[in-house]
Amino acid sequence: MLITQIKDKEAIASAIKGKIFIINCHGCKEVHFPETQAKEIEKEWCDEGIVTGILTTDYICNPENLALRLEKHRAEIEEADTVLVLSCGVGVQTVAEYLGNKRVCAACDTYPLPGGQGVTPLEYDCDQCGECWLNLTGGICPITACSKSLVNGQCGGSKNGKCEVDPDMECGWERIYRRLAQLGRLDVLKTPVHIHNFATDLEVGKE
Amino acid sequence: MKITECFDRGEFVVTAEVGPPKGINIDPVVAEAKEYLSGITAVNVTDCQSSVMRIGSLATCKVLKDAGLTPIYQLTCRDRNRIALQSDLLSAAMLGIENVLALTGDHTKLGDHPQAKPVFDLDSVSLLHTMKLLESGVDLGGNALVGEPPKFAKGAVVSPCSDSVDVQLAKMERKVMAGAEYFQTQAVYEPEKFIEFMETAKQFGRPVQLGIVLLKNAGMAKFMNKNVAGIHVPDEMIAELAADKEKAKSGETGVKIAAEIIKACKPYCQGVHIMALGWESKVPEILKLAGL
Amino acid sequence: MENYTKYKLKGSDELAPFLQEADQIFVVACNKCFKEFETVEEPDLDAFLAMAEAQGKTVIGSAKVDFLCNKTLTEKQWKDLVPEGTKSVFAVSCGLGVQTVADISGLTTYAAANSLNYRGHHGMALTKKACDACAQCYLNVTGGICPVVDCQKSLLNGQCGGAKNGKCEVDPDKDCAWERIYNKLKEQGRLEEFLAQPVQTRDYSRINHKVIQDYVKASRENRLDGYYGGVHPSENKEYSEHIPLVRFPEPETVVIPLSQHAGAPANPAVEVGDYVKVGQKIGTSAGFISANIHASVSGTVEAVEPRLHPTKGGDVLSVVIRSDGKDIPDDSIKPRENIEDLTPDEIVNIVNENGIVGMGGAGFPTYVKLKPGKPIDAVLLNGCECEPYLTADHRVLLEFADDVICGLKLVMKAVAAPKGIIVIEDNKPDAIELLTEKTKDIDNIEVVSAKTKYPQGAEKMLIKRVMGRQVPSGKLPADVGACVCNISSVKAIADAVCKGMPLTERVVTVTGEKIAKPGNYIVKIGTSVNELIKYCGGLTSDDVLIKMGGPMMGFPLPDTEVPVLKSTNGIIAINTDSTTPVECIKCGRCVDVCPMELKPLYFQKYADEGKWQEMLDMNVRDCIECRCCEYICSSKIPLVTKIKNGKAEVMKLLKK
Repeated sequence: MLITQIKDKEAIASAIKGKIFIINCHGCKEVHFPETQAKEIEKEWCDEGIVTGILTTDYICNPENLALRLEKHRAEIEEADTVLVLSCGVGVQTVAEYLGNKRVCAACDTYPLPGGQGVTPLEYDCDQCGECWLNLTGGICPITACSKSLVNGQCGGSKNGKCEVDPDMECGWERIYRRLAQLGRLDVLKTPVHIHNFATDLEVGKE
Repeated sequence: MKITECFDRGEFVVTAEVGPPKGINIDPVVAEAKEYLSGITAVNVTDCQSSVMRIGSLATCKVLKDAGLTPIYQLTCRDRNRIALQSDLLSAAMLGIENVLALTGDHTKLGDHPQAKPVFDLDSVSLLHTMKLLESGVDLGGNALVGEPPKFAKGAVVSPCSDSVDVQLAKMERKVMAGAEYFQTQAVYEPEKFIEFMETAKQFGRPVQLGIVLLKNAGMAKFMNKNVAGIHVPDEMIAELAADKEKAKSGETGVKIAAEIIKACKPYCQGVHIMALGWESKVPEILKLAGL
Repeated sequence: MENYTKYKLKGSDELAPFLQEADQIFVVACNKCFKEFETVEEPDLDAFLAMAEAQGKTVIGSAKVDFLCNKTLTEKQWKDLVPEGTKSVFAVSCGLGVQTVADISGLTTYAAANSLNYRGHHGMALTKKACDACAQCYLNVTGGICPVVDCQKSLLNGQCGGAKNGKCEVDPDKDCAWERIYNKLKEQGRLEEFLAQPVQTRDYSRINHKVIQDYVKASRENRLDGYYGGVHPSENKEYSEHIPLVRFPEPETVVIPLSQHAGAPANPAVEVGDYVKVGQKIGTSAGFISANIHASVSGTVEAVEPRLHPTKGGDVLSVVIRSDGKDIPDDSIKPRENIEDLTPDEIVNIVNENGIVGMGGAGFPTYVKLKPGKPIDAVLLNGCECEPYLTADHRVLLEFADDVICGLKLVMKAVAAPKGIIVIEDNKPDAIELLTEKTKDIDNIEVVSAKTKYPQGAEKMLIKRVMGRQVPSGKLPADVGACVCNISSVKAIADAVCKGMPLTERVVTVTGEKIAKPGNYIVKIGTSVNELIKYCGGLTSDDVLIKMGGPMMGFPLPDTEVPVLKSTNGIIAINTDSTTPVECIKCGRCVDVCPMELKPLYFQKYADEGKWQEMLDMNVRDCIECRCCEYICSSKIPLVTKIKNGKAEVMKLLKK
């Protein structure tokens, strides 16, 4: 569900201190895990002699199983000055929380993949904006299909039906218009002005 | 005139604050400022304070400057991304507005447009950093500016009486590092806390203006204690305000309290910043009573 | 937050105008995901239907679907769901489901619900807002507390002026993140570091929709390439793939179980005290689905008694032979001449007589496959070796390429197939190159390189990938004109036909991170696993998981004093794992990876509830036990164990 990319070597080097214990999380590997890259860089650290141990596992965001798995490596973790985690931000935080005052560092950046919920992503389709616009757009999401997430129609940047941000990307509003025309629903473009509500997270924010 | 020049000369710098109106008639604000604030060093203009939409800070600054005052342009990161912020900074410099106070800004959810998208592309620290970059002739994107770069007197804020003052000091240090040349503080009602704060803050070597918010009544004090960050009005002050309602209403009590705080703190700071919240007319009285 | 539902029905006021204009309505509701898997179906559909009824609208049909956004599976069932004459569709789903329906149906599609804004709730379950996937992880400079999610303003350089009593200005119930970060860094003695770092600014250009689109596209290709589902576990073949085959030293004793195959155990053909030679029959096939067993050493029969079997979970009648170390072949073993003259029936008989079974793991008697009784269009030679770690077939391909090609030709002749296809995964480029070179002058044999994906070596997946044909539920490869053989099996066929040598030895990979010296060995059937491990330098640690076969479908060996079987392609010693199963959170990943397009999450639920009929209805018998679901399960549920149990109960049910 999450895409991770390894940070620059320099960036990681500046974060780690002393000996390191490495945790690789393969839970979302079917979406992405930079395995080859990770192996290469970990080998370099091993050759430098700074690695106290490596744990390659999955779903470290599950605190119960993380605890069971980390306990086995207690000595190696204690020997290390830094615990370096190759996972999404959730994983890093789960480890940091569990290990308390241990220096825990992230070796990856997590890329946003809204819409990847449910199953492994097949399309980038839904940004979970909390105020579904699809009724007004012929079932094509203006939030994800338009680079500017415009909800009132096409901007002036579309050229040859392509987006001004990415010329390989079709203009979302061009697609919406076409779909509406196909369905005989162009009348929905006459609805009043639409304004985003960015406070929809309140609904789930209050746990 | 840059406010930093006054600090450099060793002056005890006095500033006050005005808030632009929600509507297009700016004349009363200008008239009031001219009448009551002409004698002080400079006047802060707030930027949609409390996330409530109003006339822009920059436009108001220009009007006040034309009226003969020295404005301080408050700039928040709430409503503008880095492009707008830098563009507005250039606009200010172009209009001869040299004093800028960099703030992060209240969250949009606190204001009168809670649905608005909070921008926070930059924050106060990175905004100061950006100003410094502009002064060096490049923008945040690394592009060279055309012609002579702008020069600002770069101000920032800090909450000396915050309940987490250490965290504030850490942020203050980072602001200094990013280029802050002077500080205005959140309202102070407990001089001893301020003095303690200055013991640490003085090491940064930047002038600090004591913040004063004029107390209008006991209710206001209680409200601020409950809702406004970094502010704590001691019980005895609230009692004093409550004791004589007429005196509080006329402003006499608030002015007296403000003057006392200034007197107590003056040896430890380099200026005072008065937030009168509509009672700009009381500013001269405060200063007189404080012996400034 | 109640049961972290993904969407919420829109209000009737909002839906009224859409309902008003819609006609011939079909309603489809998603059964939701990322929630505790308590009920099979969700109540939102009924709520919507009631709303439509209250507005005087007749709905002509409705359906509840699992994971509506799974386009592949939704598309397959769509036609059966939608009634004739449907003009508009209401989707009770998150935005993904609505758009999937809009794309598939081509009809006016309405969203009956709003996706809830779960931005920041990444990770497996929506229990905690922890990561906003900002593309620029700051956790290194904040003591592992996320400033982007935990600070309302996502400030990166320190606390704002809004904190009061350590609480956030936006939500007084929330701790100020920077207060927490500050304290944590202080405890860790890292304040200096925090103060000294350069000014942090967000780089929003990193949130690049183009990157996301490309990623998603690549991920989709990876997942749907060749056949639906499958997984990509770490291959770990580098331990042994480059190590040439070595003949394992003659064992002192071999223990040869009379059951090493699917079907009836063979009947013993020797007695204690008998002297036997290599290749001599010591067990006789006991039925149609059974196989002969032969001595792998020359020596004296010491015992014919039950011994611990590595994969059948108990003792199995076995012949124990003490080797005389002379390796004397049986008199019957002679190289055969005029191989071209053999008839298909003669080939099948040789295969049967020489005890050849599927050596990829299942041990199905090969001769049965060679009498399909149906026209076969192609013989697929399975060189995928998709199980991680194993490299036995890879080495056989490299070192016995001619034998493999000879064996393939024999199988093609036996089943009268006009074509032979050697399928090798693209992680074995040297084998692909060699086999392509060796077969370049053979018109009817082709080498196909297949993109690596587990379980490609499963018959049905291989057929789908190579021939594009789907073996229907309950049917065999022959039903779609295919015959699939394992690399080592055809090598054994070549040996049996050309050299007259029965199946008495095989190639075994001994590997894993806990084996001192991994390697690939030619091992006599009946050799002790324990000896094999000792010979490879032993184990590097006591904390080890030993399996016969690969990590996915292999059998754990709690006791290594067990013999190598005809179907033993590897012995692996790998890291152990310790987990505890937690509740299914309906993440949908098992459905996503099941190559048989089943819904494993229902199997575990029904197994726990003893609902065997429901399990049968969901085609549990189609499960090939490839363990993809268990591998991907985020709740660490032992799905395959539950499925195996369920299958047994379903069989009982059917017998009634």
